[in-house]
Amino acid sequence: MQKIIIGLSIVSTILLQADNNSSLEKRVESLEKALKANREKILEDKMKKAMSSSDSFNQKSFNPDISLILDGSAVSRDISNDKYEGYSIDGFSEEADEIPFHKNRGFNFNYAELGMHSDVGPYFTSDAIFHLHPDEFEIEEAYLTTKKLPANLDMKMGKFRSGFGRINAIHQHAQHFSSQPLVYEAMLGVEGLNDAGVGLHWVAPTDNYLMVGAEAMQGTNELSFGKSSENNLYIGYLKSGFDLGENMALLTGASFASGKTEDNQDSKLYGGELTVKYTLDSYSNLNWQSEYLYRDRDDVKQGGYYTQLIYKRDSNWEFGARYGALNKNAKNQPDDLKKYSAIISYSPFEFSKIRLQATQDKSKSFGGKRKTENEVLLEFLVETGSHGAHAF
Amino acid sequence: MRKIIIITMLFTTAIFAKLNIAVTYNYLGEVTKAIGGDLVDVTVLSSPKLDPHFITPKPSLIAKLRRADLLIINGGQLEIGWLPPLLRRANNSKINLGNSGFLDVSGAVELIDKPKSVSRAYGDIHPDGNPHFALDINNIIPIAKLISMKLSQLEPKNSSIYNSNYNSFSSKMERLANSLKEQYKSCQGKKVIQYHELFNYALKAYGVESLATIEPLPGISPSSKHTLKVINLIKENNIETILQDVYHEKKTAKFISNKTGAKVNIVPHDVGAINEANSLEDFYKIVANRICQ
Repeated sequence: MQKIIIGLSIVSTILLQADNNSSLEKRVESLEKALKANREKILEDKMKKAMSSSDSFNQKSFNPDISLILDGSAVSRDISNDKYEGYSIDGFSEEADEIPFHKNRGFNFNYAELGMHSDVGPYFTSDAIFHLHPDEFEIEEAYLTTKKLPANLDMKMGKFRSGFGRINAIHQHAQHFSSQPLVYEAMLGVEGLNDAGVGLHWVAPTDNYLMVGAEAMQGTNELSFGKSSENNLYIGYLKSGFDLGENMALLTGASFASGKTEDNQDSKLYGGELTVKYTLDSYSNLNWQSEYLYRDRDDVKQGGYYTQLIYKRDSNWEFGARYGALNKNAKNQPDDLKKYSAIISYSPFEFSKIRLQATQDKSKSFGGKRKTENEVLLEFLVETGSHGAHAF
Repeated sequence: MRKIIIITMLFTTAIFAKLNIAVTYNYLGEVTKAIGGDLVDVTVLSSPKLDPHFITPKPSLIAKLRRADLLIINGGQLEIGWLPPLLRRANNSKINLGNSGFLDVSGAVELIDKPKSVSRAYGDIHPDGNPHFALDINNIIPIAKLISMKLSQLEPKNSSIYNSNYNSFSSKMERLANSLKEQYKSCQGKKVIQYHELFNYALKAYGVESLATIEPLPGISPSSKHTLKVINLIKENNIETILQDVYHEKKTAKFISNKTGAKVNIVPHDVGAINEANSLEDFYKIVANRICQ
C-alpha cells in the first residue's frame, strides 16, 4: 500500500512539475480523490474487523514447545516373564527394581514421553519430560536452567538426569541401542542417575572444548547411592572435545560421584569415556564409543565397561554392535559377566525409527541361578511435535 | 592443567581485540570478511561440502560459540537441526537469541515458497519459507547491508569503515548481478529438475522453472515410483538439465540421466561447495553458468 501511495505521489509531483495546465490539475485532483477513497476503504475494513474480534488475550504464541514420543516393542526371550522380573546380577544387584522397557515377552508399550520446553523469562528456561506408562505417570525430568548467570555459568535446578558419564543424561530413545549397557544396568540401574538437585556448568573460553560440571543431588539411586534421609550425592565431571582433521571429532570425559548407600556405606563411582566420530558424508558416519565405570564401596571394589561401534550408512540405516563386561567384582563373586548386543535400525524419516536388537546376556541370574539369556526385540519409536535437535 | 587454562585464557583475551564472529555457513563468512575486513575474526561453523541442514554437532563447535562476540546465522530454520543444542551448551549470553550478538540474516530478504499448510506429512518442510536464499546474488546485497549495520551497532567507532566496505562490496556485487543477468538472458523459460528445492532462488532470478524434485518430499529419500514419475515428466517436457547438489547421493540423478539423456549439472549451494567456487564472485558465476548451461 505504502508503495502505491509513494508511487502515486511521485507520479503526481512529476506531472505537476512537467506542466501546470488545468487538465493536469484535474487529473491530480482525481488521483488525490482516489487515494483518499482508498485510504477510507482500508480504514473501514479495519473498523469492521475491530468490531468483532480481538487478539488481546491470545496467548497461543507463548505455549511451550511440546513433543510427544511413543515407544513400543515386541520381545522374544528364552526366559519366562515371571523369572525375568526377578533377575539379579551377582555381586551388583540383588533384585532388579523396576524394568521400564521391554519387560514382557510379546508386546510391550514402553512409554509415551511428553516433553515441554519454554522460556520462562529473560533469566530462565524450563523443561519438563513426563513418562506415561500404561499404569503409571512419572516425572522423568523437570528443571529450570538459568540463562544469564555471570561468567558464562549455567545452573540447573529440579529433577534431572545427571551429566555423569557419556550416556546417563541421554534419554532411551536417543541412544543407539534399545537397552542400557551392562555396566550401567549393574551399577546405576536402568533409570540411571536421575534425582532432585542442582547442577552448575561452565565452558572454558579455550580453543578446544572444555566443560566442567558439578552437581549436588538427593541420592535416591538404589544400586549405588540409596541413602535418602538427607542429600548425600555429589557429582563432578570434566569433558573435553577436539577435532582431528576435518572429519574426525573426539569427546573425552572423566566423572566422579560420591555418596552413601542405603545402608550408610561410603560409595564412590568413577567414570572415564571416549567417543570418536568419523564423518563419511552428510548422512553417514562411524561412531566408536567406550566407557569404563569403577565403583568403590567401603570394602568392595567393582568395575565394568562397554565399547560399541555404530555405522550410520545413510539417512535411513544404522548398524551397531556392543560388547559389555563386568571385569572386577567382589570377593567370591563371578568376574566373567558379559553381554553382547547387535542392532539394526531403520528410519524411514527423521522422526521415526524401527530397531531390531539381538542380545546375548551372560551376566544375569534368574531365581538364584546364572543362566544365559537370549533376546531379540523389535522396537518402534516415533517423535512428534517440536522435538529439539540431538547433541553430539 | 589450571596453568594451561589460565594461559589459554590470557592468550585468547589478547586476540579478542578483534571482534570474534562465528557464522554458520561459508557465504556468511565471505560477506562478513568483506564488510569487517581486518577488524574482525571470522569462524565458519560448518563445512560447505556437507548438507547445511545436518551439520555434525561437534564439541569443537561449542568452544567456537563460547568465544564468539557475534553469531550470524542464515535463519529460516536452516540451522534448527543442529545449532540449538550447541548454543545451549556454550551458554554464551552475548550470542543468545534476543541479545545484540545474535543476527539472523533471513530478516533481510523476502522468503519464497512459504508453505500454505504446515505438517510433517509433507516431509521436512520449512514453515517460514525456503531458506536457501543465498543462491540468488540479489539477496547478498541486503544481507551485507544488515551485517554492516550490526557491526556498526556493536562497534560504533568503526562504523564509517564498515559502511564504506559495504558500499564497495554492494557496487561490486551489483555489477556482477547485472552482467550475469545480461549474460544469461537466453536462460529465461528454461525447464529443469533438481534434487531438493535448493536452487529456487537462483532459478527465479534467471527465470528458470523447476518442474520436479528427485526426492519425493523434502528430506525423504528417492523412491522408484517417484523416480519413474520424474523420468516421464522429463520426457514429456523435453527437459535437458538435472540440477544436483554436492552432498546428496548422485546415483538417482545418474540413473534418470541415463534413461532420459538429460544432463546432470553439479551446482554448488555455498561458497566452497566445489573447489572452483572459492569466492562469492566465482560462486555466483558458476551457479548461473551451471543452471543455464
